[in-house]
Amino acid sequence: MRNPILVIGGGISGITTAIEIAEVGHEVVLVEKLPYLGGKVIKFHEYFPKLCPPYCGLEINFKRIRENPRIKYFTSSTIEKISGDKGDYQAVIRHEAQMVNNNCTACGACVDVCPVERENEYNYGLDKTKAIYLPHELAFPFKFTIDENACKKQACSKCVEVCDYNAIHLNAIPATTDLKVSSLVFATGWEPYDANKLEILGFGKHPDIITNVMFERFTAPNGPTGGKLLRPSNGETPQNVIFVQCAGSRDENHLPYCSAVCCSASLKHALKVREKNPEAKARIFYIDLRVTGRNEDFLNKVKEDEGIELIKGKAGKIEIENNEIYVIAEDIASGRRLKTKADLVVLATGIVPSAVESIENGTEGFLDQLQNGYIASGCAKRPMDVSASLKDATAAALKAIQL
Amino acid sequence: MEFTPDIGFIRKLKRNSKAPLKQCMQCGNCTVVCELSPVEYPYPRKEMQWAAWGLKDKLVTDPDIWLCHQCGDCSTYCPRGVKPADVLASLRQESIIHHAKPRWMGRLMSYPLFLPVALILPLAIIILILLLAGTLNTQVNPVNYGTFFPHAILNSTFGSLFLLTVIGMIFSIRSFWKDLKKSYPPDKAQKSFFKSFLEAIREIITHRKFNKCQTVKYRTYAHFLVFWGFVILLFVTLFAILSVIFWEYPIPLWNPIKIAGNIAFLMLFTGTSIMIFERIFNKEKAGNTVYFDWVFLIVFYLLILTGPVLEIARFTNWSGGYIWYILHLVLVWFIIIFLPYTKFAHMIYRTIAVAYLRYSGRK
Repeated sequence: MRNPILVIGGGISGITTAIEIAEVGHEVVLVEKLPYLGGKVIKFHEYFPKLCPPYCGLEINFKRIRENPRIKYFTSSTIEKISGDKGDYQAVIRHEAQMVNNNCTACGACVDVCPVERENEYNYGLDKTKAIYLPHELAFPFKFTIDENACKKQACSKCVEVCDYNAIHLNAIPATTDLKVSSLVFATGWEPYDANKLEILGFGKHPDIITNVMFERFTAPNGPTGGKLLRPSNGETPQNVIFVQCAGSRDENHLPYCSAVCCSASLKHALKVREKNPEAKARIFYIDLRVTGRNEDFLNKVKEDEGIELIKGKAGKIEIENNEIYVIAEDIASGRRLKTKADLVVLATGIVPSAVESIENGTEGFLDQLQNGYIASGCAKRPMDVSASLKDATAAALKAIQL
Repeated sequence: MEFTPDIGFIRKLKRNSKAPLKQCMQCGNCTVVCELSPVEYPYPRKEMQWAAWGLKDKLVTDPDIWLCHQCGDCSTYCPRGVKPADVLASLRQESIIHHAKPRWMGRLMSYPLFLPVALILPLAIIILILLLAGTLNTQVNPVNYGTFFPHAILNSTFGSLFLLTVIGMIFSIRSFWKDLKKSYPPDKAQKSFFKSFLEAIREIITHRKFNKCQTVKYRTYAHFLVFWGFVILLFVTLFAILSVIFWEYPIPLWNPIKIAGNIAFLMLFTGTSIMIFERIFNKEKAGNTVYFDWVFLIVFYLLILTGPVLEIARFTNWSGGYIWYILHLVLVWFIIIFLPYTKFAHMIYRTIAVAYLRYSGRK
């Protein structure tokens, strides 16, 4: 019996790779650092271009994971060490203290008594949860989790008292698992580019300047506003939304590469603005609309909407005067320097590969030149959208089982 | 419209500016971050496109390159490292050469090989004038440049030469004016030319636009010092000429005019020193410096430095001062008589361009 295959990262790429490997008959171990599977994708409200919710497909995937005895998954776990050579690796997996065990039924009694709040990672810090929380409605595994940094532990213990299932153990300690694996797949994914570095685009200077991933949460029914698109500053419905493409991407001073998905994402967001408020206007300032393949039909659909304006010209500067936001760009088609007022500005920040320290990185931190038989999958390799990630994840599975 | 791409011009521009201008992706970020770019037909994005396409005719006659003060904001924020500021600087050089009358003078002055001629020729002519005047009187007690090179002869010969310069300038301005009208017809003219001109002068003497630069602040201060130092010295020189004719000469050290002259020296010296220092030690921000910049800057610097040498020689009765006096005159010639053919010509074109922008009603 050969050793299992280790897939690092429980986002859409990692999940797909693991399922594909398991469904052709191999043992697979899936490791995810967060308390839930689904990665970035599960935070999206809808996919482009079909505008269907990721929950739908992920639910099927979670079922496949649950029903397949060949998949073992660890959430709240990271890889501490990797050694060995091609075909015969040893991995040390670190499991964070499992303060809520699998007895949890997600009844929610603990939440009511928990006195501490934490920033909600799932909503990019736009709202708060209690220190003991369910990551989101469809969290898989479906159980509560405790934010170790926020929880007061034994000093409080109120949750332990109300739990009827003996599910909470605040004195739990981290553990490790040593594992011999035959293949290693890095599906470590991405992080949005840190908008604080985009000082010239005013991020942090006005609450109505947000990023595209934040926008995604604002439109989601399980987001901080319950799916209402509102200006963070005053809670009003925005009438005039501007999307700033290439906020950091295609820029030597930030990310020198194209992040591949932001154009299509902003088109989707512009439609969302119109859907939420048919009176509203959406403007997209772009360098090039890099909408490829079947997404071109999607672009044409967006173009038909009279409330959406696509303007060629990079919005390179945002000025705040009297608490109003002005986006400055050159409208290249007409040759005018525009200064446009906006209620809400969405910075289309790009994809930064999640840092993987133990192995040699390739271009700009992407794992595109892996040695030692390591395999990369999805956005860890290069920026790609979900459908491309799925194809790439399947390819990675095929590579992994052949090693 | 018909365009003729000039491949040689693209190569020349790339060589001179050291900017990878073909890398430009036409995003317009440069236009956006530029504090000086106008609303209608802003720069430098369009110039970058013309440059990549080799549209020499459009570029050398483009007035917008003269609205740029090369503060470098566009280069700092350029997502592709294309350095539009350096490209525009190179274009201004091309524009000076293009509008120079006679044009061969502009071309020659941009060749490093011509430099010895540009210095030896004035030297020879000055010596010739001195020989013809027969006044080479190097009197030591006291040192008096007036006996060495009588002011009447100096003023008349340099005055006539400067007249030629002025004629050249007038023709240059005429050609530039035609280009301005072609680029941006003044159909929306709302202001009189005179008023626009005064506004331009006000803008220039206060450095109001220049002051908006963010990336290289020192440039504004240095230029401000040099500008005002030069203006003060112009008045001092004018007064000195009048003084020779009407009042006492040499002007004594305590005279307010003399004091003003010395202050002006300090301003010029400080400003130019900063400029040279930054161009050598802060290349990244100061931008690319080519022969055309260096020759003007260094000759100007030497001209400034030789001034106090003459002054000291006069007050200490040092006979070596006469040699320095000749050197000083050669440098004066280079800066003043060759004005329309060196980087100094920027003051003509920029003033006219800024005035025209207002006159034509362009927003």
